[in-house]
Amino acid sequence: MPGNNVVERVRSLVVAFLDTDLVRLRIERDGGHVELRRARSRSATPELAEPQAPDAPPENVDAIKSDLVGIFRFSRPLPQTGDMVDSDRELAYVEALGIRNPVRSIGSGRLVSVCCDDGQPVEYGQTLFEIQRV
Amino acid sequence: MFKKVLIANRGEIALRINRACRELGVKTVAIFSEPDRESLHVRHANEAFCVGPGPVARSYLSIPNIISTALITNCDAVHPGYGFLAENARFAQICADHGLTFIGPTPEVIGTMGDKATAKRVMREAKVETTPGTDILESVDKARRAAKDLGYPVLLKATAGGGGKGMRVVTGPDELERAFAGAQNEAESSFKDGRLYMEKLIVSPRHIEVQVLGDNFGNVVILGDRDCSVQKPSHQKLIEEAPAAHLSEKIRNSLYAMALRAAQAVHYTNAGTLEFLVSGDHAYFMEMNTRIQVEHPVTEMVYNIDLVKEQIRIAAGEALGYTQSDLRPRGHAIECRINAEDARNNFAPAAGTLTNVVFPGGPGIRVDTHIYSGGTVPPFYDSMLAKIVAFGETREAAIARMERALRETVIEGVNTTIQQCLEVLATDAFTSGHYAIDFLPGLLRQADAA
Repeated sequence: MPGNNVVERVRSLVVAFLDTDLVRLRIERDGGHVELRRARSRSATPELAEPQAPDAPPENVDAIKSDLVGIFRFSRPLPQTGDMVDSDRELAYVEALGIRNPVRSIGSGRLVSVCCDDGQPVEYGQTLFEIQRV
Repeated sequence: MFKKVLIANRGEIALRINRACRELGVKTVAIFSEPDRESLHVRHANEAFCVGPGPVARSYLSIPNIISTALITNCDAVHPGYGFLAENARFAQICADHGLTFIGPTPEVIGTMGDKATAKRVMREAKVETTPGTDILESVDKARRAAKDLGYPVLLKATAGGGGKGMRVVTGPDELERAFAGAQNEAESSFKDGRLYMEKLIVSPRHIEVQVLGDNFGNVVILGDRDCSVQKPSHQKLIEEAPAAHLSEKIRNSLYAMALRAAQAVHYTNAGTLEFLVSGDHAYFMEMNTRIQVEHPVTEMVYNIDLVKEQIRIAAGEALGYTQSDLRPRGHAIECRINAEDARNNFAPAAGTLTNVVFPGGPGIRVDTHIYSGGTVPPFYDSMLAKIVAFGETREAAIARMERALRETVIEGVNTTIQQCLEVLATDAFTSGHYAIDFLPGLLRQADAA
C-alpha cells in the first residue's frame, strides 16, 4: 500500500538521520515536505515535525535564498549536508538568461540542508541551502 | 495557437487573461510578488513563480526575472495586461529577442505611440485632429512663448506621461514657472523622463475613446466608443460606459474615421484604444493606449466579443474572423471601478485585510475581481479591487441594474468607492447623460461645501 510505503521510507530516513551529526533535515517533494529535527534535549530520538506545521527555524540557521528566477545548478565540489563551508564558498549557481549567478555561503558554518535538486527551476525567495553558523 | 502564455501582471487583469487562455486551451504561467503569494491569479494558473518582493520595481517590473520565468517554463508568449510593462517598447523587444511573442503591437508602434509628442506628430500626418499644442519644450521661456501663442488656459503634459502624472493646468502667465517645475519634477520621478509639452486646454470636454483591433494582415476594425468622462480630480477614471450617450452621428463617424486612419497609418496590430477630447462639434486626439484597457468589458458586453481572446488569436497569427459590417453593438454597458480608496479624503488608497466580501449577481451583471474574504490588499499596488459591469437593453436599464448591483456588494475591511459610484449614478447629470470630465470634481466640491 502507498501509505505503508511512505511510513517505511520515513522510517529509513530517520535511521539514516540518526547516523549523522545533522540537527535538521528537510526534504521537499511534490508540494509536500518531511522535516526531521533533533530534539533540543539532545535525546537520541529525532522529532518528526508535522508535515504542515509552520516552520520554526532552528537557532543560528540561516537560509540562503535565491534572489532571481532561473535553473539551479550545483557547483563543484558538490556541497553535501554536514559539510563545513567557508565564508565565501560558491555552493551553486542559478542560471538565468544564459548568465551564471553564483550562490555563496555568505559566512562560514555547517551545511544542514540542501533544498534543491540539480537542474531544478527556482523562484525568487526560494530557500536553496540552510547553514548553521558556528 | 500558443501552448503556454506567461501572464506578466497581477490582480483582476491577470485572472481575466488566465480565463481567456484556459478557454482557448492555452496553459498559463503566473508571476507574483511575495505579498501576492495567496492571490487568485496565482492559484488559477497552471504554474506560478515568485519574481520578487512587494515593490513593483523588483517584481512586476523585473524584466530579467519575468523573461527568465518565461524561458524556464517553456512559454511561447507573454501577455502584459495593462500597466506595469504593457506599454514598455523595450520589454516587447526583449520578448522578441528571446523568441517570445509579445501579445500586443510591435515594439516600434509602442515606442511611437508611447511618446505622446511623437504620437501627436504622427497623428497630424495621418490627418487626425489633435489639440493645438507644441512639441517638446526645452525651457520655461519657450513654454511662456508657446502659452502666449496658444492663449491661456493651457495644459503642461509629460511626454512619457499617463494617469495624470506630470500634468498641470496653467490659467495665466504668473502660474507658469511654478507649474513647469512641478510637472517636470513629477514626470522625472514618475517616468524618469522630465520632458514636457504644452496643449491648449479644452474647457469641460468629454473623454471619449475608440476601441480598435488590427491583425497582421492589414485588417482593422472599430469596436465602438466608450465615454470615460467620470474621472477623479487626478484624471483617473471611475465610471465608464459604452456607447457614449448623446454623441451626434457626425462626431461618432468622425471619431471612427480618425481612429481607422490612425491605426492604418501606424500599421497597428492587436488591441488598442484612441482617446479623444470631445467639445461641441470638435474631437481632438489625445493619446493612444497600445494595450488592453481596464474598461474593455463594457465594449465586450455591447459587442458580445472577448477582446482578450482576440488579442491572443491575433498575436498567434490568426486573421480577424469578421469585417466591420459583421460588428453590430447591442444595448448599453456601464462599468464602476471599485477601488480601495477613501473618496472623502481625496481618494487616498487603503491597504489591509478584507474581512467580508460579497459580490452581486443576477442577469446582466459581470464582476471582474481578484479579491476574496480574508484576502489582503497590499500597499504596493493599484487600489482597484473589482470592476462591476452592468448590461441593459437601454442606458436607463443598465443604470438601474448597476445601482441594484452596487447595493448588493459588500466589501468590509477597507474603504471603497462603492458609495461614491452610487452618488454619481443618482445625479441628474449622469442619468441624463450630459456630463463632462469636470463633473466628478465638481460633485466632490459640492459635497465638501455642504
